[in-house]
Amino acid sequence: MEKTLKRWLPLFGLPTLAAFTVGFLVPFVMGMALSFCRFTTVSDARFVGLANYKSILGDGDFLHALWFTALFTLVSVVLINLLAFSVALPLTKGLRGTNLFRTVFFMPNLIGGIVLGYIWQLIFNGVLAMFGRTLTYSPVYGFWGLVILMCWQQVGYMMIIYIAGLQSIPGELYEAARIDGANPRQILFRITLPLSMPAITICTFLTLTNSFKLFDQNLALTAGQPSNKTQMLALNIYDTFYSRAGWEGVGQAKAVVFFVLVAGLALIQLYITRRREVQQ
Amino acid sequence: MASIRFDHVVKTYDNGVTVIPDLNLEIQDQEFVVLVGPSGCGKSTTLRMIAGLEEVSGGGLYIGEQKVNDLPPKDRNIAMVFQSYALYPHMSVYRNMAFALRLKKLPKGEIDRRVREVAAQLELEPYLKRKPRQLSGGQRQRVALGRAMVRDPQVFLLDEPLSNLDAKLRTEMRAQISTLHKRLSATFVYVTHDQTEAMTMGDRIVVMKDGRIQQVDTPQALYDRPKNRFVAGFIGSPQMNFWQTEVLRGPEGWRLRGAGLEFGMTGWQLEGYEGKNVTLGIRPEDIHAEEVMIKAHPDALVRGKVSLAERMGSEIYAYFASGGQKLIARAPARTGIRGGDEVVMALDLNKLHLFDADTGERIPRQG
Amino acid sequence: MKSRQASKRLKNGLFLVFFSVVSLAYLMPIGIVVINSFKRKAYINKYPFSLPTGRDFVGLENYRAGVEAIGFFEAFGWSLFITVGSVSLILLCTSMCAWYISRVKNRWTRAFYYLCVFSMVVPFQMVMYTLSKTADSLGLGNPLGITVVYLGFGAGLAVFLFAGFMRSVPLEIEEAAMIDGCSPPQTFFLIVLPILKPTMVSVGILETMWIWNDYLLPTLVLDQKKYKTIPMAIQYLKGGYGSIDWGLMMAMLVLAILPVILFYVSCQKYIIKGVAAGAVKG
Repeated sequence: MEKTLKRWLPLFGLPTLAAFTVGFLVPFVMGMALSFCRFTTVSDARFVGLANYKSILGDGDFLHALWFTALFTLVSVVLINLLAFSVALPLTKGLRGTNLFRTVFFMPNLIGGIVLGYIWQLIFNGVLAMFGRTLTYSPVYGFWGLVILMCWQQVGYMMIIYIAGLQSIPGELYEAARIDGANPRQILFRITLPLSMPAITICTFLTLTNSFKLFDQNLALTAGQPSNKTQMLALNIYDTFYSRAGWEGVGQAKAVVFFVLVAGLALIQLYITRRREVQQ
Repeated sequence: MASIRFDHVVKTYDNGVTVIPDLNLEIQDQEFVVLVGPSGCGKSTTLRMIAGLEEVSGGGLYIGEQKVNDLPPKDRNIAMVFQSYALYPHMSVYRNMAFALRLKKLPKGEIDRRVREVAAQLELEPYLKRKPRQLSGGQRQRVALGRAMVRDPQVFLLDEPLSNLDAKLRTEMRAQISTLHKRLSATFVYVTHDQTEAMTMGDRIVVMKDGRIQQVDTPQALYDRPKNRFVAGFIGSPQMNFWQTEVLRGPEGWRLRGAGLEFGMTGWQLEGYEGKNVTLGIRPEDIHAEEVMIKAHPDALVRGKVSLAERMGSEIYAYFASGGQKLIARAPARTGIRGGDEVVMALDLNKLHLFDADTGERIPRQG
Repeated sequence: MKSRQASKRLKNGLFLVFFSVVSLAYLMPIGIVVINSFKRKAYINKYPFSLPTGRDFVGLENYRAGVEAIGFFEAFGWSLFITVGSVSLILLCTSMCAWYISRVKNRWTRAFYYLCVFSMVVPFQMVMYTLSKTADSLGLGNPLGITVVYLGFGAGLAVFLFAGFMRSVPLEIEEAAMIDGCSPPQTFFLIVLPILKPTMVSVGILETMWIWNDYLLPTLVLDQKKYKTIPMAIQYLKGGYGSIDWGLMMAMLVLAILPVILFYVSCQKYIIKGVAAGAVKG
């Protein structure tokens, strides 16, 4: 079987492989290499060792963006997962209207980041106008604005996954627990939650990576204002590349750091939650 | 001509494990051959090599006069029935059966005729429009069979096709497959782990273990003259009784001592075994409770308390221990043996099998 | 017994009320945007939450002006072309590739699989600059070429999902097809692909949602003077120094959301099912 199939590599494998190389592998390797260079275009790159990385340490905006992003991610992950799980629980009971509610809660996820950012900019500015302020008055406003926006967009998506996870728990376990005399709280913490770990793993992974990598919504909602104090890492990197000349190398180095952070976070998170999964 | 020949065939997997070291087998045209053996003995691998689903690592595989080592499955004029039926889930029964013919670009009328003919033979006509998931296990199995029949191949390969059916269906389908073989002029190669299926269906049976052929013979020959201890224990239900006996030289010839018995043996080539052990085998049906037999073999009597008596209807399987050796005997139902009874039975010394205690090879009779 | 029934009905009633309120609140942002799209620009900023009355009501003026200002319908056309083209390309190529690496197991296929998984964690910023330069040098800065870029960047996730699902396609069915006379392409297109349909839908939906709403990749790769997608067009409304004509913006936002909602309402069941299935595999 394998032998006959092997000859067909060109048809089956090549298109994807070629595109993958051009669209990912080559840019990735180039990016890694260029992070150690000073350049304005690819051809005039000059090797400068760790100079780019060193200048990151002194980049106030970057460090602030790092802190802001980390805080934002933490808050978002906790809030979104709590809300999504809480909403998912009642929606698995098959009560009237469940389908409609599911539909409504998921809908915001389909709307793109840029569009989303401007919608909420209007709303926040409208609300804040009643107190004589605007969204860019303080980074705190921008922070919570982003959190609210993120929740609105992501809760529905995570809710779907939690619903799927909850529905995969055999009903017999609940019956057995009720016969054993467990009250609803005990059932929740000793049965429902542990058996939902696979869904929790996925949702945590997705919210973690989505929040940390956030760009479109950041750009549209606040564009980093005031004074780059609501600028998240992705936007900071973009700015470094494109808002002024001469900093491309630093931008690339920042991107590498960004990548390492995301990958590291993801791996740690997966390791922790995977270990707590219960095999069915 | 659809004979099949394995000429020093070797099968080694990519990880270096050689599962079949040296296979030599000749299957005649239109023969019904059964490959039987325990899990992992290589029977399915052998079948799949004939199909072309597994590569032949060494040696030559021939279908007819043609060496087919490198020939892809679709050019070998074979059809296969899988254990799990492997029906195309998104196609109706009709299209499942017509698929191969459509690939060959046969005219539509011809395809329709063949499919309906086979469907009639297998009583599948009412289900032609249904999808596999709407069928029962037995119906699916018949579709798998039909899919193979429609192609009119030289060689039919069947990989444990009845394993997933309940007992009654299995008996019915066994008969159907045997009848089918007689009707079609094709070679059948059938793989099973069930020795009852093997014994009832095959012209010849190939007993395999650990990738090697233990014995190739007709069912009766396998039963009467197993070549080694493994074949002797594998064929026949309930399993043959085995115990170690010591070979002694007595005044009138050889004597065997074991299981609390000692008796004389004539007509066996026991040279070189003096003072050593040989494995004695006797089938449960050759341990007799009748008076006649007890009188005929007075020094080959076993006695003990029946720990379990399984009533099979026409027979009783009596489990007891004699001289410290656990035994099973088949007795006619009229003996009325029950658990707890004390029994005396005679070994039919003409039906003994002796095997070398180390190699397991059969020790031949003289003459 | 009766009181249990009663309290259950009460709970259901509360549930219904609570969720209905939350649902309405959830949809309000959209409602607000729609309302404001009919208002005059100045009034939007001052009174964003009031309904348009005689003075502020400008009918479809915002829409007309906005469409002209950013070429919305062209942007819509390009978004549609790029999304449909890229998703089709991805589904076709990655499913074939995933099948190949699932059936031919050697060092290379395993390495490729791990590379795909790896690519899912890499943020776009890492390759943003170099990718745009690479695409430039290969002349991929047009709607046709960008589908290849999307295939390249989106292959990782798609191959991963397809390969995961491939394990539940029984090998015996493919073997039966080979014995029946199929060549590998026939086996794939006639037998494997129909069985893969649910996964196709899941992957297709995920990729569609990503590509339709994507801002950064097309901005960097496409020749902006000639081609714009909807997210790019929306961002274009933001003029120099961050000034925005809110009248036009509101109208364009409505137009941007409209196709998404229509698509959602018509395929809602498949979308939700696809999302759940895709995530579980992940």
